[in-house]
Amino acid sequence: MDRLGDQARGRNTAVACFYLDFAARKEQSVARILGSLLRQVVGGMEKVPEEISRAFQEQKNVIGGREPRLPDIVKMLQTITSSRPTFVCIDALDECATTHRFKLLNSLKQILETSPRTRIFIIGRPHVRPEIEKRLAGRVISVPVGPNKDDIIEYLRLRLDEDETPDAMDESLEAEILEKIPENMSEMYVWPMVLGIPPHTIR
Amino acid sequence: MQYLQGRFNARRPPLFPTGALLSLSFQESIYTEQLPVYNSAASKERKMSQYNIDNSLSHNTNSFNVQNNYVVADEQSQLLTWLSPLEPKLRHRDIQERRVDNVGEWLLQTEEFRTWNDWSGEGEGDKAVLFWYGGPGVGKTFIR
Repeated sequence: MDRLGDQARGRNTAVACFYLDFAARKEQSVARILGSLLRQVVGGMEKVPEEISRAFQEQKNVIGGREPRLPDIVKMLQTITSSRPTFVCIDALDECATTHRFKLLNSLKQILETSPRTRIFIIGRPHVRPEIEKRLAGRVISVPVGPNKDDIIEYLRLRLDEDETPDAMDESLEAEILEKIPENMSEMYVWPMVLGIPPHTIR
Repeated sequence: MQYLQGRFNARRPPLFPTGALLSLSFQESIYTEQLPVYNSAASKERKMSQYNIDNSLSHNTNSFNVQNNYVVADEQSQLLTWLSPLEPKLRHRDIQERRVDNVGEWLLQTEEFRTWNDWSGEGEGDKAVLFWYGGPGVGKTFIR
């Protein structure tokens, strides 16, 4: 995620990210999720686009104001992403309610149709894959991910360094941990994932 | 010091907002430095009151990406809040704090990622969407 941000600073590119959260699924309506992406892009601009500030002023006339509706947000996103290359990242798509997911993917599709310079990066569990590939037909590359052995060793090393009771650990135990866990982990998680077997079936 | 912090963190209630937790551990180190006698009742009490202040300050951020109720001052931030009241930046900061450098680096070097990333936007029917999938807890979110 930060990699995209780093390289965007050099180009005239916007990056916007959203983390879906099961616990917050009530608050995370599709209009608000996409609104949040729009907010991040607009927040990075020197001047708010005319279309958006006008819409903002107009809703103020309604008593108590009014949250922007999904079609309005999609339209604003379409306008803004067609004038500027934009990276959109969405994490934990599986944590979003099914009906929301349907709307979210369809809205992303609408944006892709009008803004060919938009790139979308989605992260999620394997079971949402068919849905993504259906809704965004022909536009998706799916890649299985998981830690490789070096990743696990790197991670374990750091955690062992942070150990709060270092006396309980001698060198041979540490060496054993660094050797055994990555070996078993890669069998348990990485291979089944590459082969497309959901990890919970092999516990 | 780390041991003491560990003990304190172990007592924290579940679902404690992470933003508050980060600021708390910061306060924590100040306290433990100033007051070497950690276990005295007075310092404990002080700690707990600090804890409560932090907790009440951030109670409106009881989950990631949820509504922010701060009063916004100027027009620009009013407009941004109107676009969406959600705050995904809080969650992003938490991930930055917790991830380990270089883990998953190899994934950013894969053909799929590079093609997706370098694409100029010309031509039709391109793969504009990259979907990374993996089981729960494999660390998808934590790749830099």
